[in-house]
Amino acid sequence: MKGSLFRCSLFTIKALYTLLFGVAVFLFFGLAYPHHLHYQEQYQLFLFDSTYVWEIIRLPGGVADLLGRFCTQFFLFAWVGAAIVAVLLVVVQLLMLRLVSFGRLFGLSFVPSFLLWLFLLDENALLGGVWAVLLTLLAIWSLVHHPPKGRGFVILVTIPILYWMVGPAWNGSHYHRYPTVVPVLLYAAWLSAIILPLAVHACKKWANDTRFSTLFSHLSFLLVAFCMGLLLWKNANFKAERVMQYDFMARHQQWNRILSTIKAEKPNNQIGVTVQNLALAMRGMLADHLFEYHQNGIAGLLPDVERDATSPLPTSEVFYQLGMVYVAQRTVFEAQEAILDFQKSGRCYKRLAQTNLIIGHYEVARKYLTALQKTLFYREWAKETMSLLGNEEAIAKHPEYGRLRQWAYAEDFYFSDHVTPEMLEDLFFSNTDNRLAFEYLKAYYMLTGDRKRYTNLLLHSVSR
Amino acid sequence: MKRHIRPYFLFQAAVSLLLSSCAHHPDVPASSREAKCLPAIFPDYCDVTVPCNIAPLNFMLPADQYEECVARLTTPDGRQQTYGEGVKVQIPESEWHAMLDVSKGKNIKVEVWGKATNGQAKSGNEEKGGWMSFNPFEIHVAEQPIDEYLSYRLIEPSYIVYDYMEIAQRNLTSFEETQVFNNKVSCDDPKGQCINCHSYQNYKTDNMLFHARVTRGGTIIVNDGKVSKVDLKRDNTISAGVYPAWHPAAKLVTFSTNLTHQVFHTAHPNKVEVFDTASDLILYDVAKDSVSIISNDPDLLEVFPSWSPDGKYLYYCKSVPLPEEMRDKDIRTTYPKVQYNLYRRSFEISSQSFGEEELVYDAASADKSVTLPRISPDGHYLLFAEGRYGCFHIWHHDADIVCIPMDQYTGDALTAETSSPIDLTLFNSEGHSDSYPTWSSNGHWIMCASRRDDDNFSRVYFAYFNNGKVEKAFLLPQEDPEMHVTLLKSYNRPEFMVEPVKISAGEFARVF
Repeated sequence: MKGSLFRCSLFTIKALYTLLFGVAVFLFFGLAYPHHLHYQEQYQLFLFDSTYVWEIIRLPGGVADLLGRFCTQFFLFAWVGAAIVAVLLVVVQLLMLRLVSFGRLFGLSFVPSFLLWLFLLDENALLGGVWAVLLTLLAIWSLVHHPPKGRGFVILVTIPILYWMVGPAWNGSHYHRYPTVVPVLLYAAWLSAIILPLAVHACKKWANDTRFSTLFSHLSFLLVAFCMGLLLWKNANFKAERVMQYDFMARHQQWNRILSTIKAEKPNNQIGVTVQNLALAMRGMLADHLFEYHQNGIAGLLPDVERDATSPLPTSEVFYQLGMVYVAQRTVFEAQEAILDFQKSGRCYKRLAQTNLIIGHYEVARKYLTALQKTLFYREWAKETMSLLGNEEAIAKHPEYGRLRQWAYAEDFYFSDHVTPEMLEDLFFSNTDNRLAFEYLKAYYMLTGDRKRYTNLLLHSVSR
Repeated sequence: MKRHIRPYFLFQAAVSLLLSSCAHHPDVPASSREAKCLPAIFPDYCDVTVPCNIAPLNFMLPADQYEECVARLTTPDGRQQTYGEGVKVQIPESEWHAMLDVSKGKNIKVEVWGKATNGQAKSGNEEKGGWMSFNPFEIHVAEQPIDEYLSYRLIEPSYIVYDYMEIAQRNLTSFEETQVFNNKVSCDDPKGQCINCHSYQNYKTDNMLFHARVTRGGTIIVNDGKVSKVDLKRDNTISAGVYPAWHPAAKLVTFSTNLTHQVFHTAHPNKVEVFDTASDLILYDVAKDSVSIISNDPDLLEVFPSWSPDGKYLYYCKSVPLPEEMRDKDIRTTYPKVQYNLYRRSFEISSQSFGEEELVYDAASADKSVTLPRISPDGHYLLFAEGRYGCFHIWHHDADIVCIPMDQYTGDALTAETSSPIDLTLFNSEGHSDSYPTWSSNGHWIMCASRRDDDNFSRVYFAYFNNGKVEKAFLLPQEDPEMHVTLLKSYNRPEFMVEPVKISAGEFARVF
């Protein structure tokens, strides 16, 4: 009876540790790392479409990849994403426990999950990697628990199926956005999931000795948690999280939230400054408060269009809000093309549909909207927007599209990667209602010290 | 023996049942109202002339207006068959080819019925809901086949940065599409790799090439089936080879060399402007791996070489000098004034020497610019793309295909007025870019890349050409007719081939 109670309490404690781990993961991604999840979501577009699914699962590793992509679409909502990551990491740990009796070395059952957590700190680490480890463990578990009779045959069948599901682990399949990066932490997690049970099994006599079992279990967990926690703390990129937060706020046009954020911390990174200036301009405060915040010269106001997938997105928000619709379209298109693992982006598709709608390229907008209708979270928006195609009156009345149509360039000229003051002047002087262009133009002159043009602009503004 | 007969027939019956279940043969609606117009099918295959070996012309009615479509096809021998599932009409390949076989030189009659979505107003004078019957149309089946293969690059209509791209080949008699190469196979650098300009000698694939740029760049040349990678940038050239043209008989390839740039419009629907600040012509000897200059006028731009089918002339485009007052100005301001005319030079294969330059077609005199010349296989006609300015017409809404009979050319430059152009009204689109024209190997099919469907994504259109008469253009058929609507890629540089590329992507990758 006493032994049973003892086992029960130990079981409860272990369950509590698992729960504690799950809650820690959940809170970490929900509170400290939410924008990493948003970042992940914006670089993929999961389609409920048989061709899309087939193109993924026909490749080795496709099932893990597909499951990863499926889950990543929920990262649009950070808390849901955090819950998904927590559940996956907890399942990995529970599977480890199922594989072998860890006994005194209970804490080691958390190692693969902790390593996966470490792996996911990298914003380019893909959730498919976690699924690959989980599916491998599931396969091993089912083999271990298969009756000895016919196990050889099952192993023979399982290996090719597993190869198809999780892919050639040695070349990283689709577990990291950078094709050249070897996901070392993922491999470490995968290897630890295989080696640790074998190691524990090798010293099972000592591990399952009941003497001081509870104490050792506590200690092993605390030791693993401490070491891994330290590694997590050291490796978490909270600086990147702040940058992603600015991009996220710009994407969702949270101008007031941006203003309160910049008051508290005054960003000094490229994206943060760009977003800060956009929010100030959206509230008509840019020129008056320009020098209260860090500036990065003209580049902080209107950065050059870079050829990566990250920085052009907030830049394109500025172009879009200013009414430079063609420029915004090009910028967001380039960003999407620069996604290294050739995926598409829900955020980019949405913006490309919008810019084409504003320009009047309805058939092109229809293509993007048709694709978005095959998604879970952009479907409704796409359906609503589809009804605007060709409806000139509705577009003219639309608070955003109508305004941007009015503000758009009347005269055509060529642009490249660099925004010139003439581009802003054209924008403003062809439509002096464009107060955002006015704010940006004033700020431009202030940053370049062009007093003459600044005065002329003010005189023009007063004389209206 | 006897005991095997029953299972055999059972097996046959099962297979027949399985196969027949693949094709849906619906009943024609018992009652319908007349729409008194042609059906608004996509792609528009009404009254087109098609090759006798083309893949099934599957089509659909607009899904936002109709919920069902039934089509009845009647061949000249009086046989009829119905097709239709949902709004799509998809014809099994075997049944379609049987129909083509009995219709060579004749017509297939197509009757279409559409069931309107409830509450959806219809085209024409139709009321809401119910089945409608449209005016029947015909598909004319030409005696002449089309080349069995087509290759193209599938690419996003991008600006500067590019994503995944592939060169694909399509069997035009079926829906089979396979990959020749993609930019993922041999690229391990985040900078990526651009692959382009696939080109074949005489529509065959034992001698062919394509370029790879940026990561592990070079020109991939197949010489009698053997693959190698060469760097065509030499000390005396301004760039590596760009636009290629294989000599029809010798192992020689002419290339333009280009310093190409891009700028982007802020309000014009043309969106992207691609232009050269310098371009010359070179001749590459495949066997000797040697490059010689054909033409490198420092002030003018030579581009788009193209051989006559007999290999005796090299056609190319060359810019017209800018007015004096514009010469020192930024190319971005002068570029809308850059126009190209069409020239040719005779070629002596034994000495590999070129003759004097002849102006063949003066487009600039009509305020136009000519690009991408292609002489018909019989040498009697010349196809090219023409727009108001520049050399990259796929982004130019005003670009059209022009065809002139070469017998008009007697040594004096032809113009729009003197060239007696063939009527291509049924081939060109109105107000949309039509570019990259080419001929099938038998000269009876012309093809272009067109943006007529949405002004952004290029699609391949074909038309029948017979004795200077051109029939209505039709879109490359797809198994799922909706594919052209949903595909967010452009068909770039469509080229006919009489055989597939036999080298796999993996084999190509070995030379990188």
